[in-house]
Amino acid sequence: MQADKSLDCRGMACPMPIVKLSKAIKEMSAGQVLAVSADDPGFEADVKAWCETTGNLLKSLESEGGIHTAHIQKT
Amino acid sequence: MGDQQGKQKILYIATHGPGDPERATLPFVLANAALAMGVEAVVALQGDAVWLGVKGTAEHVFAGGLPALGELMDGFLEMGGRLLVCSPCIQHRKMDPGSLVPQAQVVAAATLTGEILTAKAVLNY
Repeated sequence: MQADKSLDCRGMACPMPIVKLSKAIKEMSAGQVLAVSADDPGFEADVKAWCETTGNLLKSLESEGGIHTAHIQKT
Repeated sequence: MGDQQGKQKILYIATHGPGDPERATLPFVLANAALAMGVEAVVALQGDAVWLGVKGTAEHVFAGGLPALGELMDGFLEMGGRLLVCSPCIQHRKMDPGSLVPQAQVVAAATLTGEILTAKAVLNY
């Protein structure tokens, strides 16, 4: 999936991936897609909760080798 | 993020200072997450937690598995989190209010009670 911006949050502990993606999304325009990669074990659940609360769209969420990659579309 | 959600507020009451890094750090983990989710977050420092409000202290608090407290404190304040510090707690410890970070607001019981009554949730650490 293509993204307008990518964010590497590998090596960051909770809650920093969520904090960083929140800041990144604020700088983007509606409809744009942000790709975020993180290896924090709680990231999968966190990114779902963040999208549900903020109303942004979780387009995809994949995990491979302990790396979780989410594509989020700003609404 | 709808306006209604943006008006929600969570109050975190912290009571542990640098002597217990994990409990000192956890309220700021949650508060940072709340702010990132568009929720208003207020941290009230009471008891030994008031030391966390002293300039330069948070930078020296590290808990395993968690971001450094200094990083969390900076992010919390940058995102608009409000930091309240218990007035009688700093008086008891003979602390100079001028030693606190500039964003700290020294408050007494009635102010904190008002914050509790207007919060969606109150968590005590």
